[in-house]
Amino acid sequence: MAEISRPFFLWRHLNKVRWVILSLVFALLIVIPVLHVYQTYVAAHAYDLLAPSEKRLYDVVEFATAPFINDPAEELDAVKGNTWSGYFWGLQLSDPLAVASQMAASLSLYWPFILSSLIPLVLTIIFGRFFCGWLCPATMIYELNSNLSAWLKWAGLKLPNFQFDLRIKYVVLAIGLILTSLAGSVLIATIYPPAIIGRELYFVIALDGFGVGVVIFIATLLFDLLVARRGFCRYLCPGGALYSLLGRYRLVRIRRIAESCNDCAKCNVVCEFGLDPLRDDFGQECTNCAACIAICPTDAMTFTLRLTDYPAQGPGHLGKQYQHGSGADLEAAAE
Amino acid sequence: MKRRSLLRVLTSGAALLGFSALPYGVSRLLAPPAPQPTNRAIKLSARHQDRRIFLRPPGALKNDVAFTAACIGCGLCGEVCPPRCIKFHARSGGSQVNTPYIDPAERACTLCNKCMEVCPTEALTVTKRQDIDMGIARIDQTACYPWVDKGICGACVSICPQGKAAIAYKHWNQYRPVVKDGCVGCGLCVEVCPHPSLPIWITERKSYSLPEKKKLL
Repeated sequence: MAEISRPFFLWRHLNKVRWVILSLVFALLIVIPVLHVYQTYVAAHAYDLLAPSEKRLYDVVEFATAPFINDPAEELDAVKGNTWSGYFWGLQLSDPLAVASQMAASLSLYWPFILSSLIPLVLTIIFGRFFCGWLCPATMIYELNSNLSAWLKWAGLKLPNFQFDLRIKYVVLAIGLILTSLAGSVLIATIYPPAIIGRELYFVIALDGFGVGVVIFIATLLFDLLVARRGFCRYLCPGGALYSLLGRYRLVRIRRIAESCNDCAKCNVVCEFGLDPLRDDFGQECTNCAACIAICPTDAMTFTLRLTDYPAQGPGHLGKQYQHGSGADLEAAAE
Repeated sequence: MKRRSLLRVLTSGAALLGFSALPYGVSRLLAPPAPQPTNRAIKLSARHQDRRIFLRPPGALKNDVAFTAACIGCGLCGEVCPPRCIKFHARSGGSQVNTPYIDPAERACTLCNKCMEVCPTEALTVTKRQDIDMGIARIDQTACYPWVDKGICGACVSICPQGKAAIAYKHWNQYRPVVKDGCVGCGLCVEVCPHPSLPIWITERKSYSLPEKKKLL
């Protein structure tokens, strides 16, 4: 019998790394407005005029940043923005959806802005919908929301999980781009959760309270909880639609190793996007989030470099449906 | 049979369109196109119809339609603003939703140019300080304290970052301010004005013509 390929041993820890990255992105979106508020206090040169709560914020941030920087007004400007558009030490990065919707709104091309989305664009073409699984600040809240619904289910509360057509989000994207160009303003940003999160965190920390986006975001959370699990991302998110289209022929994919699979279907249960890893059906919706790699009890999930999904391999060789020796016709029957 | 299947396709298509447009409809309902109310602007008399409720940040495209089309609402201009004067149409604004504005009565721009340098699109373009055109200050000479002989002030003249090119006293020994052509509309004079009804305000440049200039021509 041929040697069964095993996944690289660190890949089953990628899901933990992903949670760390999601938490870091979210923490950054909170830290950046706090640092900005501190910068405005520094720029005002009027510590004695601050209110007690403002003084406390000033003291805490000064204590935390003073060992690393000399000039807060300039050096704390190194990292600014959110996942919609931001920059790291001079490197401007923008969401491809921001570029697409800005092009639709102004009906013109502005090359410096388009180039700022080049790196995310190339990464999306290689890794597919990785932004949704690895960076999106809304993903963390949505996955915690999914966990909440799992706990509610455990507690005996039956929550519905309707299935819709996954292609609805492409219509949302098209309608959003049409409305954006008709209205002449980037309306997609009002319903796109990562843009909402970055913006609203800034509004509530540095300006005078939440805007309208937080209501929309809570509505999407309720939609996810009461109508369909992870429903907004699966069926409605215009950004997810764009990345799915861009990542259709992505290079990095997850594949099942049929030789060590025992058909336990844990991968299907854990998949936030309702895909079917058990039957090798990932499609363009997969975010490469590696949750199925982490949960697999027999190490039957791995990464592969292919432009299309691995062809269907039938039932796992360790499962009940697979009969050793007389494989082909039984596999056909199982299909 | 055929008619029935066609009907089914039509109804499911309409349902699909409606379902996909739902998020936009919700967001539209939640952000109605209403003027941005501010603390002091509400109290202003209706005498001056050309008083703008808000200003755009410096370097903004003069055509507001082009500005809302170019702005992606990322909030970077606000995140680098040292006086934190740039705010956003967060709860109202219609098609202006998420675009930045400055309310000079609350906190005015100090012309530091950071927002223009950071803007990823051409919505805020890098402009020299004297070429910035956020508007032009206008003084109500029937309310301003020195103009109605209710004391001496000169706060607007002292704070102006453009100096004598933008605002000066009409006579050297009277504290009556007069706006000059070099005003860029930053609004610092509005922020410091002690008068409760704000006799100094930023208006659009095109709606204002200087009386001295008219006499010369």
